[in-house]
Amino acid sequence: MAMNERKTIDLEQGWEFMQKGITKLKNILEGLPEPQFSSEDYMMLYTTIYNMCTQKPPHDYSQQLYDKYRESFEEYITSTVLPSLREKHDEFMLRELVKRWANHKVMVRWLSRFFHYLDRYFIARRSLPPLNEVGLTCFRDLVYQELNGKVRDAVISLIDQEREGEQIDRALLKNVLDIFVEIGMGQMDYYENDFEAAMLKDTAAYYSRKASNWILDDSCPDYMLKAEECLKREKDRVSHYLHSSSEPKLLEKVQHELLSVYATQLLEKEHSGCHALLRDDKVEDLSRMFRLFSKIPRGLDPVSGIFKQHVTAEGTALVKQAEDAASNKKVGILMTIPTLVNYLM
Amino acid sequence: MRKEDSVKLISAEGFEFVIHKDAAMVSQIISNMLTSPGSFAETEHREVTFPEISTTILEKICQYFYWSLQYANGKETEFPIEPELTLELIMAANYLDT
Repeated sequence: MAMNERKTIDLEQGWEFMQKGITKLKNILEGLPEPQFSSEDYMMLYTTIYNMCTQKPPHDYSQQLYDKYRESFEEYITSTVLPSLREKHDEFMLRELVKRWANHKVMVRWLSRFFHYLDRYFIARRSLPPLNEVGLTCFRDLVYQELNGKVRDAVISLIDQEREGEQIDRALLKNVLDIFVEIGMGQMDYYENDFEAAMLKDTAAYYSRKASNWILDDSCPDYMLKAEECLKREKDRVSHYLHSSSEPKLLEKVQHELLSVYATQLLEKEHSGCHALLRDDKVEDLSRMFRLFSKIPRGLDPVSGIFKQHVTAEGTALVKQAEDAASNKKVGILMTIPTLVNYLM
Repeated sequence: MRKEDSVKLISAEGFEFVIHKDAAMVSQIISNMLTSPGSFAETEHREVTFPEISTTILEKICQYFYWSLQYANGKETEFPIEPELTLELIMAANYLDT
């Protein structure tokens, strides 16, 4: 490359040329009829940046180009992206957000490739964030900052609708929640603070309301069936669109509201509680009880307490029976003990 | 070499070098261009013109690409560079991020 023959590119000139390329990219993203970039376009844009960065001072425009790179995103976001998002609500807003985020990532990919030369030396020399990070940060500081509350509320509203039995677009929710994760650029902070915390709070409130009704109306076995079903559904929810890290926290909330809070009332229900189930040999219900309560801290304590009482009572009754009866009744006792052992399995 | 596997690099003087895609990808810049989403149709013949790289240098660079692929497999060979080409070669390598 004959650098001594190269004409110096003036910043204004060079930038005007780059601007054409950036406009072309925006048109493509907006879906306007625009031919795709040719390899020549690509090389010309890259070469312009390269030349402007390798010119002798005072014509080394690296700093200015780095700033203009960021400004390109800011301008596009404030003039086009934000207005289009602000005019939409609920599910429509979520769809628009997903589209704009996807577009944004494409824009970052292209522009960072045209401006690639800056990533090679300039950013390291000045300890600046690389182009990729600059691009994503623009979206985060302008779009995400403004809208994450609205987005969070819209998502939680859809989740509650699904809990009530409505069909929702799970793929959409997954894409939206991916934004919360990706915007953290390696950290889960944004997902946890801006979405998960509120979602957990809402979940707790939701199940608290449900439990307070169910505990009055339902028998112990019916209540437990519902609880188990809820836990299954919430687990399913995680696998379809929540981040996997939410699973333990979510299940813990549900278990707390449905089981821990109402444990005593549930187990001591007059005709259907633990004691009744033991007496009536309801093995399936008792298995469910064991499964559910073993998951909450000290959950099995009250259960084992009632069980102990039951065994003691049964045992005492049997002993009394044996004492009252003649010795030929001993066979009856030997046959009752295996049944008690059953519950322990 | 199949058409889909080849790339054509054109020098300032218009000389065309048809090389394997994998060889061309040794250059970060060419690699970026070839992997950009949605820009080049699969059937489109990939051509890149370098109006600022002379034929001699571009030829040397293509040789380097192949040498680099070979070296990556563990075979130790020295890449021969004529001293008069060094400066231009370095600048071209910087430009192509190779």
